[in-house]
Amino acid sequence: MAEELFVHQLDNGLTLLGDRMAHVVSTAVNVALPAGASLDPQARPGAATVLSEWLFRGAGDRDSRQLNDALDALGCHFDQGVRSHFLQISGSQVHQNLLAVLEIFADVAQRPRLAEETFEPSRDLARQDLEGLDDEPSRKVNIDLRERFYPWPLGISPLGTLEGLAELSPDALRAHAGRTLTPHGGILAVAGRFEFDEVCDWAERLFGAWQGPPAPAIETAPAQGGIHFQQRPTAQVQIALACPAPPTGDEHYYPFRVLEMILGGGMSCRLFTEVREKRGLVYAVGARYQGVRGHAGLFVYAGTTPEKAQQTLDVTVNELRRLGEGLEAGELERAKIQLKSALIMQGESTGARVGGLVNDWYLLGRLRPLHEIAAAVDAVSADDVAACLAAWPARQFTASLLGPVELNTTGLSD
Amino acid sequence: MDFKHTQLDNGLTIVAEHAPAAESLAVGFFVRTGARDETPEVNGVSHFLEHMVFKGTARRSPLDVNREFDDMGANYNAFTSEENTVYYAQVLPEFQARAVDLLADILRPALREEDFTTEKNVILEEIALYEDRPHFKVFERLMAEFFGPHPLSQPVLGTAQTISALRRGQMLDYFRQRYSPTNITVVAVGNIAWEALAEQVSQACAHWEPVQAHRLMPAVEPAGTQRWVRDAKLNRQHIGLMGLAPSAQSPQRYAAQVLATVLGDSTGSRLYYALVEPAIAEEASVSYDSMDGTGGLLTFLISDPARANEALAIARREFATFLTQGPTEAELTAAKNKIASASVLRGELPMGRLPAVGMDWVYRRSYTPLAEQIDELMAVTAEDVLAVARDYRLTDTTLLALGPNDKP
Repeated sequence: MAEELFVHQLDNGLTLLGDRMAHVVSTAVNVALPAGASLDPQARPGAATVLSEWLFRGAGDRDSRQLNDALDALGCHFDQGVRSHFLQISGSQVHQNLLAVLEIFADVAQRPRLAEETFEPSRDLARQDLEGLDDEPSRKVNIDLRERFYPWPLGISPLGTLEGLAELSPDALRAHAGRTLTPHGGILAVAGRFEFDEVCDWAERLFGAWQGPPAPAIETAPAQGGIHFQQRPTAQVQIALACPAPPTGDEHYYPFRVLEMILGGGMSCRLFTEVREKRGLVYAVGARYQGVRGHAGLFVYAGTTPEKAQQTLDVTVNELRRLGEGLEAGELERAKIQLKSALIMQGESTGARVGGLVNDWYLLGRLRPLHEIAAAVDAVSADDVAACLAAWPARQFTASLLGPVELNTTGLSD
Repeated sequence: MDFKHTQLDNGLTIVAEHAPAAESLAVGFFVRTGARDETPEVNGVSHFLEHMVFKGTARRSPLDVNREFDDMGANYNAFTSEENTVYYAQVLPEFQARAVDLLADILRPALREEDFTTEKNVILEEIALYEDRPHFKVFERLMAEFFGPHPLSQPVLGTAQTISALRRGQMLDYFRQRYSPTNITVVAVGNIAWEALAEQVSQACAHWEPVQAHRLMPAVEPAGTQRWVRDAKLNRQHIGLMGLAPSAQSPQRYAAQVLATVLGDSTGSRLYYALVEPAIAEEASVSYDSMDGTGGLLTFLISDPARANEALAIARREFATFLTQGPTEAELTAAKNKIASASVLRGELPMGRLPAVGMDWVYRRSYTPLAEQIDELMAVTAEDVLAVARDYRLTDTTLLALGPNDKP
């Protein structure tokens, strides 16, 4: 695939990453700062989410409305998001507008106004989103599962808690911004059409003089784990499970991604076949690999009506355990083709690629060219998969369940 | 970009946009049928049939179908709406022939009784899944309310009652009436080989027997009702508003898209500044839905129950103000730039171009290159946008509210 990768360090600690793609006219940009949810002050979970909203309420010479209108006029589809480690500011636009968008993002990252009068609505939107979670049961269990599965606070919900949001004040959040909005450990990534020399010059001019404290360290505590049930009068029982998986960079990483495909990739995968196709137990069932730095999990989800819920859980867990019995004919080759094909097809999107750059840098400290990933997938043998299964069997489940009936979860015990 | 099209003797049309630089290609079979083409007693059959299409053919078992798609590493699925049922696969260029063969074959499904019974359970689970999604429920009930006796009022999924009562024979009848080659368009975009494609589709589909597939087009008379449905399980108040808008065939459709963006895009719109920025509502959006012979402008609000009336009053006031003034020049430019930039971004992906090229043909028997589409968008004036608001009476809406409140 036609791509060129670039890395450049600014003296202030900001890393520039680039993935230049042939034949596109758009450029996607992502500014990732070490201000994610896991860095929220202990007493104020939700701080990063409120901050991400507050940042766009005026920066540099522009007030809230001028800032928004300026990005809109550039046809920039922008968003702010909070993940475990990073607070991210992202945008996609035609390449001609990249510099103008970077100028605005530079203001948002370095010169946000954080004015008193825009604080309350920023916090109130976060509070409303949090209260809306009860109207979205599948999102609710998946957020709960992440919190329990990862070492605390790596999986903490970016939505925070009502108490945490109530604790926030403009001054406290400004102090938090001062600690976490820093070029150290930050990333500026672009993917699509650009000239990297030019991007480096622009970044030097727009971000080069930025000084900030060292990236804050995260102290972790052991994961809470366990099986958590919440009684709710929903139409479907929500079942969300996770078990430990090799982190990105681990020797078993690629074989595990093959296993993930066999279990949950495409419609011929084991979960879809056994739970939905053969038994008609669910509409939605799936498995996906997901990680933070140093930790990863296989996350499995199924939603089903109360009468079918116990059987759905039992069949799902059985499929997870059955992975340990080895592969069936054709499964390895099919999974490898699926992984490589997805790599190419998703790689056509500038937005997907810019996300990949940030992830690689954060998880591995380097960028993987697409051909390196394809070669690594190709090289996975049946022996590698067996070794991976021996090292990472499906056990030590963490679970979050929600619905009108409680299920028998003894099948989840090791 | 190169456009190609041809028609088989049995009426099946093939259209293609060739993008030689793309890494992949996408093929879709667009069947012009959906919930609006169902009689009330078989409501939901279009969508149920879409599921059954993946359950095997005379020469393939259900597992064969899934396995063959996955053997190609395909990104594949299908969707059903009120008006269309679309089956698609995105694959690497080397798999073009296999993907066409597989898609064409499954479009003549076996509809085995045993699979029908199992899949009925999956459909009932899908209905239950959406029961837990208030935004979807508001949309479904609002459509039913707005369209009243018109067939566009029918839910795409059907109901637990219609699906439970549905028999295989009824599905087979529906299939025979609606899946005629005259009612299907094969659409391909990306890195395709055109000559081979036309030959592959002909090989696979030339023997399909054509029948007349009619669609009823009664006049739409919006209900105008204002209904508050209490749902004590919900935490938030969800409100949907719907008014008439230009049809998919109307030359005013570009202006209608600009209208929706100026009024209710997720950033920088009238409702954003009036409701979301001050946190009166957590969500306030307006979207334009173009349909066959008609169209809708849909507004959704989510707020604290205690502030629902205030949010609704503000939204209505914004619409009334807009109706007297139209958009500012700055709003017009920003909206057009946002829409154009989104089209360009989607246009870079075969899976982004597939619906655009397909629906252009299905609704208008036309092909508009992306550049021309953007020219037409850029030609929209403030007067054009205001004309849509006036012609379609922006402030005349049907309301459906769902949440803790049982009245305004």
